[in-house]
Amino acid sequence: MDRRKFIKRAGAAAAGAFVMPYILPSGRLFAASGGGGLSQHVVLVMFAGGVRQQESIGLRYLADAQTEVHEGNILYNMLNGAAPTQKIVYGTGLGGINPIPGLLGQSLESQGTLFAEMRAVNAGHYGGLNSLLQGNQAMTQGLTSKPLNPTIFEYLRRHAGVQASKTWFVGNTIGNSVPLLNYSVHPDYGAPYGANFFAPNITFGPLGDQYLSDAKVYHPQDQLAPMYEMKAFLDNSFDNVGNVATGIGNTADEKQDIKAFMVEMFSKTQNGTIAHPPVHDNGDAQTIGYACEVMKWFKPTLTVVNMSSVDGCHGNFTGYLASMHRADHSVGHLWNYIQTQIPEMAGNTTIIVAPECGRNDQPNAIRDENDWYGYDHSDANALRVFGMMAGAGVPSNLRIGSEGNPVGIATDVVPTIAELLGIKSEVMSAGFLNPGTLSLFDRM
Amino acid sequence: MPSSRSRFRSFPHWGKAGIGAALLLLFATSCTKELEYELNEVQLNPPGTIKDNEKTNQQYAAILHANLFQDAMSANELYELDQCIQSIGDKELAREVIISNFMNKPGVIIPDDATMRANIDAFIIETYNRFLVRQPTEAEKTWFRNYIEADPNVTPEIIYFSFAMSNEYLFY
Repeated sequence: MDRRKFIKRAGAAAAGAFVMPYILPSGRLFAASGGGGLSQHVVLVMFAGGVRQQESIGLRYLADAQTEVHEGNILYNMLNGAAPTQKIVYGTGLGGINPIPGLLGQSLESQGTLFAEMRAVNAGHYGGLNSLLQGNQAMTQGLTSKPLNPTIFEYLRRHAGVQASKTWFVGNTIGNSVPLLNYSVHPDYGAPYGANFFAPNITFGPLGDQYLSDAKVYHPQDQLAPMYEMKAFLDNSFDNVGNVATGIGNTADEKQDIKAFMVEMFSKTQNGTIAHPPVHDNGDAQTIGYACEVMKWFKPTLTVVNMSSVDGCHGNFTGYLASMHRADHSVGHLWNYIQTQIPEMAGNTTIIVAPECGRNDQPNAIRDENDWYGYDHSDANALRVFGMMAGAGVPSNLRIGSEGNPVGIATDVVPTIAELLGIKSEVMSAGFLNPGTLSLFDRM
Repeated sequence: MPSSRSRFRSFPHWGKAGIGAALLLLFATSCTKELEYELNEVQLNPPGTIKDNEKTNQQYAAILHANLFQDAMSANELYELDQCIQSIGDKELAREVIISNFMNKPGVIIPDDATMRANIDAFIIETYNRFLVRQPTEAEKTWFRNYIEADPNVTPEIIYFSFAMSNEYLFY
């Protein structure tokens, strides 16, 4: 090789080393495009089991659903608009006559951007939740199957190198396949990039108290270190047969931290000092309380919280209104808690609130104690949803879309989170998003 | 009893065909092909290879309880414990928490440290049998013997914990 050729090839090799992406032992893939995000923390609230546009964005209260004329806003932590003045059934006290006072000085709509008319891609709960977390439909999946395509947790952990204890999914139940959503079965992603998950009503409820709360505390160096070393030896002997990895990659230190958190939660639950919203008389509000504790302890990069009490609308419209009012109260508490109780997240966190699906235009035949009809979710109206976000990186006081001009689809939530956390190009180019999916920032 | 002479006289009665058949039989049997012995190819796998079915949460909890307490859990308890495992996203973490809860309960049957160190080989074999339902290989026995001898902090409880956490224990 002559001198000129040598210099040319050496230069090309050096340039290639800079341009080509490479993987560090931590698993982080530094893509050539790179780039920082708009926010340091994102909280996604999956709201809250099938919400009709009429009673939420439409501020119609009873006017579009029952043979009543009363209108008003029962989500006043999230949306602008005056509350109903008559026929109040959604609050506290006998008959729900006392509305829960607002927690935020300014609604999330005013603080951020509201996509008033979006489209869900699935009218079912599991499909809807999948669309918010996978950015894709779950049409080929059964209810007891994990997602086929990567979830936002896996994108984040693989492409941004985020630790397992910095991605959390707080579910309100172990039913409805909710616990399966913390990672997919995709061979390039999957369990090693999954999120931590708790269903606090079980983990820290009576069952958890019975089976999980009395854990023996082992010394990290003297006892746990040899235990992990012996386990590693045993696993090496078994490694050649392609066994399934069921851990999500929490390190020994992270596991210790999570165990310490669990001990703290059992103690706080027993003492009644969980950071619940002021009114926490249903499962969703209690789930939000534990989500606040998770955020305060771990300061996650991504926290996803699921609520579903609103789904009682199938047979109890009065309960639906009360649950929706409490879901709004819970979201207000969550946002307020971040700003006032978690200094590490105040001012650098973005909240996204989006229902997984809507509800029908026409009622079913089931009436509740007020003689009001229930609503299922299976028609075109059940695909009408909204989406809102506020906080770091989000324009304030912006409203986009209307009933006659829908803007955005539910799957947009995934690239939106990706953009906020700086991995948009990796997610968009992975090829797993529903056709037409865009970051909501690209729809402004 | 016929004399040898009379037997000789009777021989011609066999006829030529009979003699031919006898000769043919003689040659046919004497031409048997010599047997060849060969070895079938056998793939040598690591120990535990035949375990390719992952235990369900309930199977895991039931077997763990039986291994630690030599006693069965009720169906109701198994159902409830399964719910607890489902409520934790990191199953490895969930198992650690459950094992350490079991270890904190009275009635766990574990040999004491002195018994283990009095006959380490026997302890290792018994532990492999109890948790992995197989004999340890010589390499495994040697590794564990050296490990136990080298570290006074390694107790039977910690060893049981590591076996209950091992990937092989998740399969049957």
